[in-house]
Amino acid sequence: MKVSVLRLALTLLLITSVTAAALAGVNALTGPVIAQRTQEQTQAAIQAVLPGGSDREITDFTDETGLVQRIYAGKQGYAFEVTPKGFDSAVTMMVGIDTQGKVLGIDIISHTETAGLGAVAAADTPAGKAFRQQFAGAGESVMVTKDDGSVDALTGATVTSRAICTGVNAALACAAGLP
Amino acid sequence: MNFKKHLYEGLFTKNPVTVQLLGMCSTLAISTSLFNGLGMGLAVTIITICSNVLISALRNVIPNQIRIAAYITIIAGFVTVVDLLLQAYLPALSSSLGIFIPLIVVNCMVLGRAEAFASKHDVLSSALDGLCQGIGYTAALVVVCIIRELLGYGTFGGGLLGPGGAGIRIIPQPYPAMQIALPVGGFLILGFVLAGNQWLMKRLNLKTRKKGAKK
Repeated sequence: MKVSVLRLALTLLLITSVTAAALAGVNALTGPVIAQRTQEQTQAAIQAVLPGGSDREITDFTDETGLVQRIYAGKQGYAFEVTPKGFDSAVTMMVGIDTQGKVLGIDIISHTETAGLGAVAAADTPAGKAFRQQFAGAGESVMVTKDDGSVDALTGATVTSRAICTGVNAALACAAGLP
Repeated sequence: MNFKKHLYEGLFTKNPVTVQLLGMCSTLAISTSLFNGLGMGLAVTIITICSNVLISALRNVIPNQIRIAAYITIIAGFVTVVDLLLQAYLPALSSSLGIFIPLIVVNCMVLGRAEAFASKHDVLSSALDGLCQGIGYTAALVVVCIIRELLGYGTFGGGLLGPGGAGIRIIPQPYPAMQIALPVGGFLILGFVLAGNQWLMKRLNLKTRKKGAKK
């Protein structure tokens, strides 16, 4: 049976159009929910690293590393959203820095690090909390012990640990330039 | 139309993972906790049923020459719907499975069932086939998950049970072998599960043959 090219094209066009319409519908339905969730996640991260922080954004900043995405201002200081490159892809994290230029805390919003190794950095476990706690109070650039720094890297996840240090350093460098 | 036969095929003789060797990528990548396995299995099952039903319903409308393009469009549509719904209503599962949800599009099991079954059978048996193949996929995935989680992390039910979803600890630290939860362990355990299924099928076959001989 020979089918005309026109019929092939039209059938495919019809299928893709119906699919696109259905997806547009679902997207309209879930879009606001997803946006709100992302917003809540960011809010929670800001609160975790900068108690009493707000979602007031600062757009006037200089950043030489290119890793700082957003800065939120609070009473005690600033929360920096930075995206250093991890083992696999970018790690999105929040770094809270007080007005004296000391790190208040860090929180990891999203990542694709190896489960069980790099992912521990973001995990809500004692090991993960201890790892993140190391950064609190840091005033100048941080490094893992392997690079002669003071941060104990996660077992089997030096690359992830370095990435987190890079993120914290980018935030510190950026904070130094803020008024 | 025979549910028992379909189920038996999906679970053992034509299991998508252990016999047809389809959907290996997701099986190896996400099978590190029970939560992941169940979530992924459920997502794939729903998508296979939906795409099977629609493709079967359209099997006389879609011209043969463009069938693969049409199937992939339909499958990608369902996968995106599931992905968006998970992101909106089950963010924990969504972040845990990450990129592997959108990658269900290229899970050969879904396209394989569309091509091998749904395009040749009626809607009802296609739905049944999707369900049974999905159950088989989920079962294989869960078995690999349980073994890898137990040997790799020493826990059971990670993401679901235990305090904070950390799972119930069975093997105390530091005895679990982390390598099992890493890719190398995935290949190893999957190999053993494949062998196990072959062994089980052989046993069942022998039994039925013996029964037949007695008669």
